[in-house]
This record gives sequence, C-alpha cells and structure tokens, in this order.
Amino acid sequence: MLALKKKHRIAVAWAQDTNTIGAIHKAVIKGFVEAVMIGKSAEIIKTCKAEGIDEKLFTIIDADNENKASLEAVRLAKKGDADIVMKGLIGTDKFLKSVMDKENGLMLPNAVLSYVGVMEIPSYHKLLFITDPAVIPFPDLDQKIAMAGYAIEMARKFGVEKPKIALIGASEKMSRHFENSVDYAIMCKMADCGQIKNCVMDGPLDLFLACDKKSIEIKGVETPVNGDADILLFPSLESCNPFYKGLMLFANGELAGLIRGTEKPVIVMSRSESEKSKYFCIALSCLMA
Amino acid sequence: MVLKNLNDLKRIVEGGPRKKLVLAAAQDQLSLGAVVRAWKDNIIEPILIGDKEGIQNICVSNNYDITGLRIIHEPDTEMSVEMAIKMVSSKQADILMKGKVGSSTLLKCVLNKEWGLRTGNLLSHFALFEVETYHKVIAVTDVAMNIAPNLQDKIAIVNNSVACLNKLGYTMPKVAVLGAVEMVNENMEATLHAALLSKMNQRDQIKNCIIDGPLAFDNAVSLESAQQKGIRSEVAGDTDLLLMPDIEVGNVLYKSLVFFAKAKVASIILGALVPIVLTSRSDSEQAKFDSILLSAAACK
Repeated sequence: MLALKKKHRIAVAWAQDTNTIGAIHKAVIKGFVEAVMIGKSAEIIKTCKAEGIDEKLFTIIDADNENKASLEAVRLAKKGDADIVMKGLIGTDKFLKSVMDKENGLMLPNAVLSYVGVMEIPSYHKLLFITDPAVIPFPDLDQKIAMAGYAIEMARKFGVEKPKIALIGASEKMSRHFENSVDYAIMCKMADCGQIKNCVMDGPLDLFLACDKKSIEIKGVETPVNGDADILLFPSLESCNPFYKGLMLFANGELAGLIRGTEKPVIVMSRSESEKSKYFCIALSCLMA
Repeated sequence: MVLKNLNDLKRIVEGGPRKKLVLAAAQDQLSLGAVVRAWKDNIIEPILIGDKEGIQNICVSNNYDITGLRIIHEPDTEMSVEMAIKMVSSKQADILMKGKVGSSTLLKCVLNKEWGLRTGNLLSHFALFEVETYHKVIAVTDVAMNIAPNLQDKIAIVNNSVACLNKLGYTMPKVAVLGAVEMVNENMEATLHAALLSKMNQRDQIKNCIIDGPLAFDNAVSLESAQQKGIRSEVAGDTDLLLMPDIEVGNVLYKSLVFFAKAKVASIILGALVPIVLTSRSDSEQAKFDSILLSAAACK
C-alpha cells in the first residue's frame, strides 16, 4: 500500500450495508481514515454488532432517508469537515445528483465529470489505468481530453512520471468511419505540441498494440506506447465497462476507481462491489485527496 | 535529390526521350513563345492545334521559327481542345497545354467521361517556386483549383503532389500542413486537418513523404523561427511542399511570392492522365516556359 502522509476524513452516505462498513472499518484500523457514517444510526450499529465491529470507531450521523444522507455527506465535504465523500447503499444517480448540485454540490467550475479506474491484473506487468467505465457514455473531443488529463494525473500520483496512454480503437488505422480515430489523431498532435502534458500518447491503437509487445513486432506498427500502456482511454462507456468487468470476472482483476472533476474525491462503486474493492477505493481516494 | 532552382528541372529532362506536348488553341502569343523556346531547348516535341493562319501570323510577327513543327488546323476552339485531349488519351501526346482558351472550357473537356483524361483522382494545382530567400525550391498546393478542400480532398491533393515530387527525385518530400498557429485549435479546422494528416502519415496511410502540421508559415520555412518556438519537427524549416488550408490563402501566398519576393514559378495540374500546363493569361512567358519544363520532368 502507498504511504499516506495524513489521515483523511471520509463521509459515507447511507452507510448501513455490510460491505461498506467492512471496508471503512479496515481503513480505520489501518489508520489512514477517520469515518463519518451517515444513515439510519440504529441500522449502522446493528450491522457493526453483527460483524463484530466496534461502532465507536466511527462518528455516526443520523439521517432517515438516503437523500438526506447524501446531502449531508456533500455538505460536510463542502464546508471542509470531510476530505472524501463515499457512496454507501444509495443509488448512484441519487448520490451524484447531490454531488453535482450547482449551488451546494462539489463540482469544480466548468469541469468535466468523469471516472478513472486503476486495475491490478495478474497477467499484466503493472497497474493499468482506465477511463471512463461509468460516467460519460460517448465522450466528445473535449471530454476525451479531460479524461486523459484525469488519468494522467492519477498515474502520476502513483509515481508514473510520464505515463504511456493508448487511445483505444478497433484498429490502429485512421478511418473517417470511426469518429473516435479522428479525435485521437487530434489528441496525439496536441500531446506533440505540449497541449496535453506529461504523457506519451498514441492512438488509435487496438488493445493488443497497446498492451502486448509481441503484437507490435508481428504487426510492425511504430508506436511510442509500444505495447507497454499505463493508461487506456476507451471510446465509450460501453467499451470500457465490459473491459473492466471482464477482467474482474475472468482474469482475477481488481479495480479501484474515483470520480474526477470534483473539488474532493468522490467514491462511487456499484452496490454489489466486494469489500476488498471498496477498501481499495478508499485507499485510492486518500491518495488523490 | 533536391532542386535548388527551377533550372535544375532540366537535369531531369535531359537525356530522356523528348516528351510530346500538345498545345490546344495554339494561337496565343505567350504560349507559342514558351513552347517554341522549350522545343529549341530540346525539352519537348510540340504539336500545335488551332487556327493555322493565326498561329503562323503570331510566329512571323514575333520571329518564332517554327519550320518543321507539326501544326493541325482546327479553327474551332472547343474542337481543338477535344482533338488535343484525344491525342493524349490515345497516347500520341504526353502533355496537354492550354493556349487561347478559358480554363473552365479546357477542364470541362479534360473531365469528359467518354474521351477525357480522368483517372478517378481529384484534379489539383501544383506550383513550384524559386525564391531567393529559401535554400531550395518550394512546392505549394493548392493555390488555384480546389476552393475549400475537405479532409478527403486534402489527402488526394497531398497524394497528387507527393507522386509528382517523387518523380522529380524527392524520395521522401517534407510536407508542411499550413495553419495560422503551430498548435491544435478546435476552432481552426486547418489545424484539425493537419493533425489528422500527420497521424495518417505516421500510420502509413499516406505514403512516401513526411507530413507535419499544423505549422505556421514561418515555422515551416525557417528553422530559426521553429527553434525559437521550441518546435520539434522533421519538417519545420526544411519544407518541400506547403499544403494550403484553402484557395484564398494559397492564391494570396502565390501572388505575394511572385509580386513581392520576385519568385519564379512553374505550375501544372495534377490528377489527370498526364500533367496539364494550365498557366493563367497573366503569367509571363518565362513562367509558361518553366511550367512546360516542370510538366516534362513530371511525366518521367
């Protein structure tokens, strides 16, 4: 685990489910977070007891419905009483509504809201950052540029000074039938010109050329990413989402991820996500806070 | 090989068989002057089609000695163009040149579906400049034909020009895609096209050249200026071919080079079965002569 310099305060909205409480508990025990659990306090205490967790490790704030819980979590972050906001048992859309609220939410002015994940895949030689499996269905050029920026920022926090970013397509060729390849060419030139910084960028590249040196040799394609990508930028949510789920299901991949574009890290995970994944997300959010 | 000046084109033409140039509507003084001179210099073998009496009168009053030159009498302008084009498509001539006929009439005939000179490629204008202040000749396209080329058009224009430069001995010409700035700006379409063309070149989808852009004009032709801006580019400062964003920019650049920088220019139309010499009526006899020279070199 990465060395975290200071303890972060995390506000959890609608915090009564087992996975969330388990993950938060682990992070509290490890000593890198303080937790504010917002929800039906009786249920939170009940779950803690059932799991053998000392509820006194947490600050518990009572809220009688999920909307109130998420508003309170965001409010705490907004006024500086929390460094990180995390979604508990509440639905993602309701939760994000509070986060994105124009007056009281956590959006940075004019920022693109997107999601960056980091995957540990046993069959790949390093961590792989991916974007966007969760927020933007069909990113346009500006959104893709923002997504790349977020992913680069995260990779650099992990110590990858100049991450190699592959812009993923079905082939490495340019084609006007694939609009994404057009965006990709523009982005590569922007990286050449220093308009997108701190990265080595190439695309379109298919997944093999992005992550497999052998394919580079076989195909004889010259690319600075060279089968050694740190970041994969996908053309759509529907291509990125099955990518990470496939790796989790079939290749023992683990994912941690965060919403970007907010004043403070926001953790959004699917309610069905394991305790381990949630724990990784908490650690990641502390790194990015 | 790099051409230092337009006269270097002679080295390409010399030694080879003389190309047959057919001048359509030949009763035009400057065209005849240039053609006769190129004939005397052993650059081409001309065939004149047009009003025979008119042709002879011009030659007599200007002291052009055309003894032994083949003249085909066809007083009707359009018919003379048609006849000239048919000579080319039946391989009796290698180069087509416009005489006393409007460009649009000639091009309409070139594009004739039955007997024209279509290849399926876009027609584009290719100009080669000799400017004292640049270390070699510089090609510019398209300054006269395609008005507002889209990306597909620009790919075709680059391909036409690169094929021509390859024939002139440039194995890997350096192509600068011109913009007003050297960065990508989403509001400037030329810079987006430049990024796409560069990438297609990297992926070998546009071959036999090195493309970079967007480059502002100064970065394209001056290494010093590119270095000052910290631009890393194989093309900057050493451009062989400048790709224009549109005809307005191209036409103004062309004319400012000629009028302010006293550049010499040769120009042809590419993309048809053979090179076409289609200089404007205001071009000097020298420009027409150099264009003939270029067309002979380009059909090698």
